[in-house]
Parts: sequence; C-alpha cells; structure tokens
Amino acid sequence: MSMDRREFVKAGALVGAGLAATAGLVIRDRMRRDTGDPVGPKTARSLPVLNNIPPRLNDDVLVRMQRDLVKAMAKPVEQRKWVMVIDQRKCVGCHACTIGCVAENKLPPGVVYRPVVTEESGEFPNVHLKFTPRPCMQCEKPPCVPVCPVQATWRRPDGITVVDYDKCIGCRYCLTACPYGARTSDFGEYYTDAAAVGADGKAVSGPHAPWEDQPNHEYAKSWSRKGHRSPMGNARKCHFCLHRLEVGQLPMCVTTCIGRATYFGDQNDPDGLVTELIARNNVHTLLPHKGTQPRVFYIT
Amino acid sequence: MTSIPMTAMRSDGKPALSGGYRGVLWTLWGLLFALGAIGIYQRFAYGHLPAGYGSYVPWGLWVAIYFHGVGIAGGAFVLGAGGFVLGLPGFARPDVLRTVIVLSVAAILPAFMGVWLDLGHMERAAYIFLRPSFTSMMAFNAWMYNAFMIIAVICWFLSLRARSAWLKPLLCLAILFSILFPSQSGAFFGVVEAKGFWHSALLPMLFLASAITAGAATLLAIQSLIGVDDGERQAAMRFLRTVTLAGLIVYFIFEFAEFSIALWNPNVHAPAIELILWGPYWWVFWVIHLLLGGAIPLALLITRRPGAWTVAALLVAVTFISARLNVLVPGQAVGEIQGLQEAFQHERLTYIYHATAMEYLVGLFLVAVGVAVFYLGERINIWATVRVARSS
Repeated sequence: MSMDRREFVKAGALVGAGLAATAGLVIRDRMRRDTGDPVGPKTARSLPVLNNIPPRLNDDVLVRMQRDLVKAMAKPVEQRKWVMVIDQRKCVGCHACTIGCVAENKLPPGVVYRPVVTEESGEFPNVHLKFTPRPCMQCEKPPCVPVCPVQATWRRPDGITVVDYDKCIGCRYCLTACPYGARTSDFGEYYTDAAAVGADGKAVSGPHAPWEDQPNHEYAKSWSRKGHRSPMGNARKCHFCLHRLEVGQLPMCVTTCIGRATYFGDQNDPDGLVTELIARNNVHTLLPHKGTQPRVFYIT
Repeated sequence: MTSIPMTAMRSDGKPALSGGYRGVLWTLWGLLFALGAIGIYQRFAYGHLPAGYGSYVPWGLWVAIYFHGVGIAGGAFVLGAGGFVLGLPGFARPDVLRTVIVLSVAAILPAFMGVWLDLGHMERAAYIFLRPSFTSMMAFNAWMYNAFMIIAVICWFLSLRARSAWLKPLLCLAILFSILFPSQSGAFFGVVEAKGFWHSALLPMLFLASAITAGAATLLAIQSLIGVDDGERQAAMRFLRTVTLAGLIVYFIFEFAEFSIALWNPNVHAPAIELILWGPYWWVFWVIHLLLGGAIPLALLITRRPGAWTVAALLVAVTFISARLNVLVPGQAVGEIQGLQEAFQHERLTYIYHATAMEYLVGLFLVAVGVAVFYLGERINIWATVRVARSS
C-alpha cells in the first residue's frame, strides 16, 4: 500500500467522519415527528350545518354522517381520525364516485383518485360481479411518505396523507411506493387537446378549452394548471376532500354514491356511524400483509 | 514521474487515433448530438406528453440510463482511484487518476441530466439539496453523488501538485462513496416494499456488481483504444480484464440465484421474472443481456488477445444498461391490485411500457453529452499535465 501512516490516519478520519455524518442525517430524519401542521384548539371548527334540523331515529345515513362530521370538526385536528368504510355488498359499480371525484377536483386525463375495480367470477348464468372502489387508503404507516426526497408529502394529525404541490418536484418515487396504485402523476394532458378539427377549425379556441384552466380547490387553495403550474407535473392523490371537510361537507364520493355504500367519519367518535361499522367482523382492509394499516375499510 | 496523459497519444508520439478514425468518430458524435437535440426540443416543447411512461410504470428509459451512468462512474472510480492509492501498475500515475476522474464525471453528468429531464418540475430540482429528507433513498443518493463529485474534482486539482498530503485520504473517502452509491442504487429499489420484485436484499449487491463490471469494462475500453502504451498499460489491461471477467461471473451468479429461487417451485407465479424471460421484451434479456452482455464477452475475455478484450469491454459497457432496464421496468409492470388498469382506462394508467422515439432520442443526447464531457475533460487533462510538466 503506497500510503504513509499520516495519510492513513487522515483517510481513516475522513471515512469515519463521512460515515458518522451519513448515519447522523439518517437517524435525525427518521426521528423527525413534527410535520408543521397547526394543532390545538385553533383548529376546531364550529359549523352551523344542520343546526336547525333536529335528529330523528330514521335519519338517512348521509344526514347522520353529516352530523358526525360537524361533531368531529368541533374537536382539534389531532383528535380526529378520519376513516372511510365501503360496503361492497351495496356497491353496484356505477362509477358515480369516480366521476364525482373527477368533477370536484377537476382531474385531468390520466389522473384518478378513486377508480372502481371490477372483478368477475363464475360462468354464465352463475356470474358474480364484485366492485372495489379504491380511494387513497390514508395508511397509518404510509409507504409513500418516507420515500419523498423533499418532504413534500406527509401524514396530517388527523391521519390524512397530503401532498404540498408547491414542494413536489415530480420525481414519482411515491407512485412506485404505494402498493395500492393510489397516486397518479399529472403529466399535463387536457381533455380538449384532441378536440375535433372541423371546417371552422378546432372545436375549441387555443390549445385547449379555457374551462380546463379553471382552478380546483384541493387543500383549500386555488390551483390553476395554466402555464405548467402545479398541480401539473406533481404526484396527486385522494385527500378525502379536505377542502370540503373544512366547510362541513362530506367527501364528494360519499355524497355521490347512489347506493349509500360509502361511509365516512371520525373513528375517535365512539357513537359515530363508522365506528359502529368497522367493529363488525365482516370488515377487512386491502393488502393487509403490506403492513400499511389502511384507514379505508371494506364490508363484504 | 511526469508523463503524457493516459489518452493523449501513443508511445511512438502519434495521436491515439488516426485522422480517418477521428473523422468517423466526429461524424458519429455529430449524428448522436443532432438526433438527441430533436429529443431535447420535444421534451422542452411538449413536456412529458411524448413520453411512454405513466402513473403505473412511472420510470422508463432515462432512469435506466441514469442508473447505468452512475454505475459506470462508481465502478470506474473504485478501480482507478483504488489502483492509484494502492500503487497498482498502470494506475499509479496522476494523469491516469485524472482520466479516471474525468470518466466518472462524464458518466455521472449525463446521468443527472437524464433524471433531471424526468422530473415533473425540473425548476425545483434544487429542493433535494435545500429541504432533503434522508428517509428517502433518492435524497440520500443525490447527496452522495454530489459529495462524490465535489471530492473527485478536489482530487483532480490536488493531483496537479507534486505532492499532496490530502490527495490519498480524500480519494479514500471518494472511494467509499463510489462503493456506497452504486449499492444505494440497488437499495433505491430494494426499499420499495410495494414492488415484490424489487424488495430484495440482493439488489444492492447486484447493482454494485454490475457497477464494478461496467466500470471496469469502460476503463478497459478506454485503456485499450486510446491509452498510452508506457509499459504498464498491458498490466492495467490485464487487471481490468480480470475484474470485468470476475464481475460478469459474480453478476450472473447473483442473477441466477435471484431467478432460480423465485422459480424453483413448479407451481410458483413470479410475474415480473416471467415478464423478463418470456414477455414482449424477452430479447432484451436473452439477446442483449445474456448473449451480447454475458456469453460473448466471457468468451472473448478468456482469450489472450487484447483486441478481443476491447470488443468484450465495449459490449459490456453498452449492454449492461439492459441489466438496469430488466430490474426497473418489470418491477413496475406488475400491480398488486388485479384489475386496476381496467378500472379507469387511460394510456398512462397501464402496466405496459414502451419507450417512445422522444425517449430514445434524449437517450442519444445523453450519450453525446457523456462523450463530449469526456473529450473536453481529456483535453483539459492534456493541457494540465503539460503545464505541470513545464512548471516542474
């Protein structure tokens, strides 16, 4: 070896310092718990929704969930634990939830938050169809969060995993990490890009129809994709319609479900509808072996 | 001893390549660059729209090029700088070290460019340095590569001095990084539990083996084609040939272990591996990877003809990208939830990936950039070495 003792000691010190610094950075970031989200009494909301309508014994489940939502919003954010329950026995595969979500969040082509997976079994005439709506599972241990290289995605105190569109660099690592395929990337497509061209020219003026530049209101902010601005180029996902929850509205997929097959509420409410439902023994989660502990439950 | 740079000219004083060859190479490079420029124009004019990747297969050809580039950089540096520190014949001269550094930089820069072009928001690339999260293997990798680059460039400057007490210690640190980052490239995929094919402890070892093999092969090709015949070149070539040979054997043993264990049970269903072996891109594994990247180079390397080694080295250096592609794409092309791609139909919501013309053209551009950086780096090496010789 053509190194003298002094060089050898220096090399050892540098290598040791390099390894120590590396280990220190990894440990520091693994220990980090504070997401910077506001918590405490300031986050409680007093919503006047349904104030003037007294509860009745046979209230529609939507009304009951609405009351549960108002009750949950009156608590600080860290005391809420949002869960979704989907009754697959009631789901008819109408895709109203998918379309409602697309409309609510103004999702462009190729971006979907809540597809409905159809499984067909048996042979005619004994055929069975099973439908599995697949929103984001809002996992207790979301595998999509630690892979983000820029801290652009995290789990809020109420259990919802969110994306900061202004921080996301669009590397798509989180897309690969989600076993449910619940994240999609906004590659910049428009529905009217391929609009028909007739004798009078293209059916829309400009590269695409102006309505496609209208902002959506995810995360209670205004996001316009015009000029390749976020959320174009970002990873996107279901967020249980946080912007609707803030004003006392249920997630769009819940309100558009024609069969009342999707339930939503606060698991920390012992009297809540969802708490009743997930206590049953015919409840399961998707891919439980992945250890992600989903917050979306299925009744079969 | 002050000597002419590794690739400047042969021992008889003639340029390493004759004028005819140089003309052909310049034409080829010009073609690569011109075609690549079309791809770059498309990327900037139309964004990601002309690309073939989507949300279920989010990474494609550019990411494979990225990992191949950083693999060559790491592997070549481990061997070249390690040889310098240990005083191995053919590697002990500072000008050889400088060529190794230039090669590493020339491999890593286009790799970075490839992954930068892959980002949805290229203007935010610096966020990975400004607000990194080291729970992410991607942030870890990016920092490691850049720390390596900075140290390598410092080493380049230190190598110009007659005697530097910090050169070898810093090289040791850079060698550590250049072993770590190809391994981390494997860990980059290995930590993704969602993808059964990737989630293997063998993957970092597989990536390290392929990095050292491809790095040794690239150095061997450079030594062979444009190296200085100073009496030690043959020893260096024999060493690199042995490393390439051993690397190939180790890589294919690892790969055999991975595949055979997954497929041993006759009733087993290993969709990603079946896709590699019998899917629409079967020829990438059987022809490019196994035949052109394995069997033929092995046969050529066991001969005693240095000319055959050169062909083998070039084959390995180029075709080992198929090793990256065969980890990258099949790992993504198998979903956990059956029927998901039929649930909401769109061309970017499928598990099928075909690289598009734009992706291939950008790939050519990255190769052209790598060659250009190496050429310019070597010109600077020649200038620096001559300057050092004059001043001493």
